[in-house]
Amino acid sequence: MQARFTFRIAHAALIAAFSAGLCGSAIRGQAETPDGHAALPKAAYKEVVDDYGRAVRIPQPVQRIVSLAPSLTETIYALGLQDRLVGDTDYCDYPPDAQKKTKVGGTINPNLEQIVALRPDLVLVTKNLNHIETVQALENLGLASYATDTHTVHDIISSTERLADVLGASEAGLSLGASLEHRLADLQQRLSGIPPRRVLFVVWSDPLISVGKDTFIGDALRWAGASSIVESSQDWPQMNLEEVVRLQPEFLVFAASHGDSVEASFDSVAERPGWRGLEAVRQRHFATISDAVNRPAPRIVSAIEELARQLHPEAFAPPAEDPIDRKSPISPAPSTPSQPHGDTNESREFCVCAH
Amino acid sequence: MRPLTLSRLLGYCAMLGAVLFVVVVIALKMGAVPVSLYGLGHDLIRVAFRQSSQLSTEYRLIIFDIRLPRILLAIFVGASLSVAGSGFQALLRNPLADPYVLGVSSGAAVGAILALILEAHVALSPAIAVVFTPLGAFLGAALTVFAVYLLGRREGEIDTPTLLLAGVISASFLSAIIMFFMSTLTGGNYHGMAFWMMGDLSTPIQPLLGWILRVGFFVAAGTIYMTSTDLNLLLAGEQEAMHLGVDVRRVRVVVYIAASLLTALAVSVSGAIAFVGLLVPHAMRLLFGSDHRVLLPTAALGGAIALVVADTLARTVVSPSEVPVGAMTALAGAPLFLYLLRRRAL
Amino acid sequence: MSSSARHFAEAPQLNADVRLSVEQVSYAYSANPTQAPLFTLEATSFQARPGELVAILGPNASGKSTLLKLVAGTLDPLSGRVLLNGFATHTLPPRTRGQRIAMVQQESPLLFPSRAWEFVLQGRHAHGRSLRFESADDVLIARNALAQVGAEHLSDRWMDQISGGEKQRVILARALAQQPLLLLLDEPTLHLDIGAQVDLLATLRRLAAANRYTVVVVTHDLNLAGQYADLVALFQKGKCLRVGTPAAVFHRELLEQVFQTSLTVELGSSGRPRVSLPSAP
Repeated sequence: MQARFTFRIAHAALIAAFSAGLCGSAIRGQAETPDGHAALPKAAYKEVVDDYGRAVRIPQPVQRIVSLAPSLTETIYALGLQDRLVGDTDYCDYPPDAQKKTKVGGTINPNLEQIVALRPDLVLVTKNLNHIETVQALENLGLASYATDTHTVHDIISSTERLADVLGASEAGLSLGASLEHRLADLQQRLSGIPPRRVLFVVWSDPLISVGKDTFIGDALRWAGASSIVESSQDWPQMNLEEVVRLQPEFLVFAASHGDSVEASFDSVAERPGWRGLEAVRQRHFATISDAVNRPAPRIVSAIEELARQLHPEAFAPPAEDPIDRKSPISPAPSTPSQPHGDTNESREFCVCAH
Repeated sequence: MRPLTLSRLLGYCAMLGAVLFVVVVIALKMGAVPVSLYGLGHDLIRVAFRQSSQLSTEYRLIIFDIRLPRILLAIFVGASLSVAGSGFQALLRNPLADPYVLGVSSGAAVGAILALILEAHVALSPAIAVVFTPLGAFLGAALTVFAVYLLGRREGEIDTPTLLLAGVISASFLSAIIMFFMSTLTGGNYHGMAFWMMGDLSTPIQPLLGWILRVGFFVAAGTIYMTSTDLNLLLAGEQEAMHLGVDVRRVRVVVYIAASLLTALAVSVSGAIAFVGLLVPHAMRLLFGSDHRVLLPTAALGGAIALVVADTLARTVVSPSEVPVGAMTALAGAPLFLYLLRRRAL
Repeated sequence: MSSSARHFAEAPQLNADVRLSVEQVSYAYSANPTQAPLFTLEATSFQARPGELVAILGPNASGKSTLLKLVAGTLDPLSGRVLLNGFATHTLPPRTRGQRIAMVQQESPLLFPSRAWEFVLQGRHAHGRSLRFESADDVLIARNALAQVGAEHLSDRWMDQISGGEKQRVILARALAQQPLLLLLDEPTLHLDIGAQVDLLATLRRLAAANRYTVVVVTHDLNLAGQYADLVALFQKGKCLRVGTPAAVFHRELLEQVFQTSLTVELGSSGRPRVSLPSAP
């Protein structure tokens, strides 16, 4: 009597285990067909190595692209390839046209179903923002993906050129790259001989978070003629306010986020206890740049220029003007516009042709 | 007097099995990409007859490569957590016990964070990197289980109150370590880790891990099931159980290891999903009684149902974005907990 | 395990009549191995036959419960041994112990309520394989056990909804369902009124005779022990002062010394002693 019971249970359990196993393997078997999951069978492939070190086979030509990072979306628009962009993330908001593309969710856990439904030839990811699990999942689904990884401004430019090459638009890439290099070289020339300003880049004020020196933002600061007082090799180090007061940066740098006026956010920060110990707060020495600085995309060069103008207005003023008194609040030199979201900046980014 | 019979047990299981089937079919239908039920049925038949090449590729990918594996994952994670919860509630003789009370999930989180940090410094191919975190989590969990076992003994054998204390303190300690390490993680990883800690089924797992989870579930749950009648008696009191012929010492060790294994496996692949392991056993007790011969299988099925429902909601309410499934189970779990409390079922 | 195998092998039947043989059993408990023991039970011996009721008598903290646990085999003796049909109880595997020895003690509170019949069926656990459904035989035995304690009408009631006395009866029924050789009870009359106390002891005597149990009851109630026990072991502060029939043990000076109060002992018509308090001045 009892033996029969145990036998039955064991029997049932074995059957259940087998069915689960069979289910699993059958499912796998069905789905693992040879490559060519994209919409139309492609004749040609390009083999490239992405920033993960993977050898990736990308079907050519690439006509349907899904971007899983806002910076990559911006880059595609900068290269003039936006017609090929079929899907991007919820956070891809620049240029405004990108908001009209089909959304596939966030950057950390994008909706794989939605991506598959868009039948992309290529999915673009970044090593920094996206997760390796997403990359592996895309690989398992037979979707080609290409990952970028940028730590310096030069990385951004070369990465853009390589991406353009992968997408079959090398000329546009080289042209854009050259234009960006030109602007950087021009900036460097203007700032040559001028000592850099010591700054603190404020990512978040409570807790106080800044950027590390090995990030592309850290590099961007250097290009703008700024020297970050943060020495950390962490990407987003949390700073001790006392230490910051001891180091006394000359300027606080904020990246404008949507909706807030930077003036208001500076004031709210200045009100907080302890911050008045900073000379930069008492003297209202703050600089604001567009949040383009947060994205490793071509637009970062504009943000660099913006910051440089605010930190070193004397390098941009026409030679006849008097040097501006250091004590007065910094304002951008009147002849050049530097609104964080000015339209003129946008149009400059769209056009790949030389300005 | 109506003692339990095999037919009654199978009847309960069949009932829940039918509910699970319906829930799975509905879950297959729902998602960012809608699927019709009729079309689905038609296509499943085609698949069964190996004519799947007639389906559109994207459709096949979505159903079989994305949705079905995810549903399967939810089934086994939900079942594992519920059985583990039942086991711990019996082992610790405490209705508030859940699979995480002895620190298994905290240990897994520490392991996962360490794996993430290590990954950043060592270049790994994606194929290896994706199993790195679950592996780290599992190791962290296993070490914690071992440590708590050592700490929870008195005179060489598990002492229930000591075990509970050791587990709770370990969990707190490990949580502090987690907070410390979280502050060193960078943006994307930080969010990913936070997501993981809330419980997340959105990341597809490697097929090998899925296999390990399934096999591990049957082995560990089966082992606990073998002690069902012992657990029934254990609930009457440890001294009493001993006098009634239960080898209390052996049962404690077996249930501890098996329930911890179930929890470790589940948490390694999906993070710490809340409330499932605590409430499903109570709900099943309310419906079917406290006899573990019935409770364990029905808890497994009930947990599977609960998690599939929660996960389907998690991935459809704010489509194409997602809510972590742990948030869904907590949202539903807390009111349910209060309801059970009022009905004095706890 | 090897030592218990040895015990099984070398168990001689000293006296075919004797079921329970407590031989020079002693115990010591200290919180810290290096410190002197907090509590000692000195070497104790007695024997009991099937059908007999033994009372372990003494004031509080005299070592009675410890002795009971040693008899049950859940504590290992420091020296000496307890033999049940020739087998040392502390070497019995849990399953075998559950088939031969049943213990009735103050219950831990139930975590999840169960019905009385479920409760009694637990007594059948030691018989048969661990994971199984209860057979028709098991059900019959359980029903029978409830009948023997007069609790059949409680069969479908929830355990947390019956009175203390009724619960006591169901617990006893569970012990009977084990079909033991040895039935042990630890202060079973503590929370019962006089009627229930008499009822319980009478039932125990009846069952011992009918089912050939050997019953060992721990109590501090002198008259119940005197009235119902075949054998009395008198304890004081961990030392067994005397073992014998009630008439042999109940001597006024001895009892007054143990219980620290003046008493009178009379011999009743049945040959059993009755203890009473002296009249108030």
